Amino acid sequence: MSANGRKKAYLAVEKVGKLYGRKPVLEGVSFTLSPGEVYALAGPNGSGKTTLIRMITGLAFPTSGRVLMLGKNIHEGGYAVRRHLGAVVEAPAAFYPYLTGRANLERLAWLSGLAGAAERIREVLFTLELITVADQPVGGYSLGQRQRLGLAAAILAKPKVLVLDEPTSGLDPDGIQKVHEILREQAASGVTVLLSTHHLREVSAYTDRVGILGAGQLIDEVVMEGASKRHRLRVSEPDRALAVLQTLPFVERAERKGEVIVVRGPVDRVVKALVDDGHNVYEVTADYFDLYEYYRERIRNA
Amino acid sequence: MLRFIGWEIVKMLHLRSVRLGLVAAFVLPIIWTLAPGLKQVYGLVLVSGWQVPSLALLAGMEFLYPFLVAMAAAEVLGSEVSMGTLKPLLLRPLSRTRFIVAKLMAALAYPFMVLGVSLFASILAGLPHGLGGFFGGTGLGGGGFAGEGFLSAGAAFTEVMQAYFLAAVTLLPIAALSLMFAVWFTSTTAAALGAIATVLLMRLLIAFPALKPLLLTTYLDLYLLPEDKALGVSLLLLAIYTVVFGMLAVVLFERKDV
Repeated sequence: MSANGRKKAYLAVEKVGKLYGRKPVLEGVSFTLSPGEVYALAGPNGSGKTTLIRMITGLAFPTSGRVLMLGKNIHEGGYAVRRHLGAVVEAPAAFYPYLTGRANLERLAWLSGLAGAAERIREVLFTLELITVADQPVGGYSLGQRQRLGLAAAILAKPKVLVLDEPTSGLDPDGIQKVHEILREQAASGVTVLLSTHHLREVSAYTDRVGILGAGQLIDEVVMEGASKRHRLRVSEPDRALAVLQTLPFVERAERKGEVIVVRGPVDRVVKALVDDGHNVYEVTADYFDLYEYYRERIRNA
Repeated sequence: MLRFIGWEIVKMLHLRSVRLGLVAAFVLPIIWTLAPGLKQVYGLVLVSGWQVPSLALLAGMEFLYPFLVAMAAAEVLGSEVSMGTLKPLLLRPLSRTRFIVAKLMAALAYPFMVLGVSLFASILAGLPHGLGGFFGGTGLGGGGFAGEGFLSAGAAFTEVMQAYFLAAVTLLPIAALSLMFAVWFTSTTAAALGAIATVLLMRLLIAFPALKPLLLTTYLDLYLLPEDKALGVSLLLLAIYTVVFGMLAVVLFERKDV
């Protein structure tokens, strides 16, 4: 789980905006990511995810705001800042089709100034299960193999910040599982991971935060730890119970969903407060937080 | 940097338009020596193999070589955009200036490749006509194809080499211009068309005599060494055009969204 504020930020996006002509594509997007944190960007097509990722990786330039990677401005701080960056910004990842997978990685390793490249290349090819096709031209690779080679290229130079646009796009279930495993491992080793995805259920197991983009704005940020602390209560007089819960300072959020009340806060104190107020509490269950459902609801309301 | 430029040249040689251009540069002189209408077009009956290179040069420099150079220079960057390989490269700790300068160097090497291949093919095609001394001219020196008496093989070779070198130099600004358009438009077709359209437009501007000395197109026939052009000044102007277009490409690319 993230520890914002306690650790130095690896990635800070500060009020980033982008205009194409007079049309705003992104407006005032801000968030900060700590070492080891996994942040998922979600949003419908055209919400600005890819534009934001292009700006975070230094490929495009913001009209306003700035992006700091390990404290240095990615656009003004010189190319050396990108030593700490690993990224896949297109699906499928693109390579020179006439070169083998290994040769493509060798060239990228050379551009990154990577020492001990041969060994590291063998290691990432093995990790991504590409060792058997490593010496075949990339032109003959399947979509999934190319996508996995993209991830291999991204982690090749042992980055501190990993940025991935739709990393599981075009992968079969085994490939998807493999990518999620690698992302978890990277985060566990202290790498900051930022990914854009439409597959929220897949990433909800290990994502620390989810940023929801809509019409170029960060309309919501879901902290997954908090989300998992939600409970569903079936009580007598739910309307009155809800009104009571909404007055309690230790209740972070309370809302009616059909016959139940979904509440976020210390469940023992919530139940006690309701009983003290004369309600019968028939059932208390942990609320399985469905990120996808939440996202749909949020986008609909936005 | 040299290794980087070398890699860019290798990448360029994998491009289809570049390979087609080199094939065209090879085939053109061979076809030309076999053309039955040579006498009608140039009033020429080949008396020496040393006249074939000038035939190829006269025919190619009219449109084909400038077009091939514009296409290749545009595709040097455009192919990276269309293949999607530009972004992964720029994600690496690599200076954009270094990247585009390496591409510029590769693009500037291409005119020499095209004309080198053309010269090689011309000499091959000229072999049946003999490559010794002869009475006449190469078409690239004094007296044109009629010449000014006997021309030794060595003198003919020097004339031909000089003309091909100068022809390649005159194509350098076109390569730089095309790359600049490729940076601007991030499209091979748009960039090549932009470069060719600019050259054609400059040719039209010849109707403004005051502009003529400043126009790039005024110097495209420099390889013929016309007497009204000072070689040093002409080369300087071509160099300025090349450097300015190259620098514009660098400046544009430095802040280009990709």
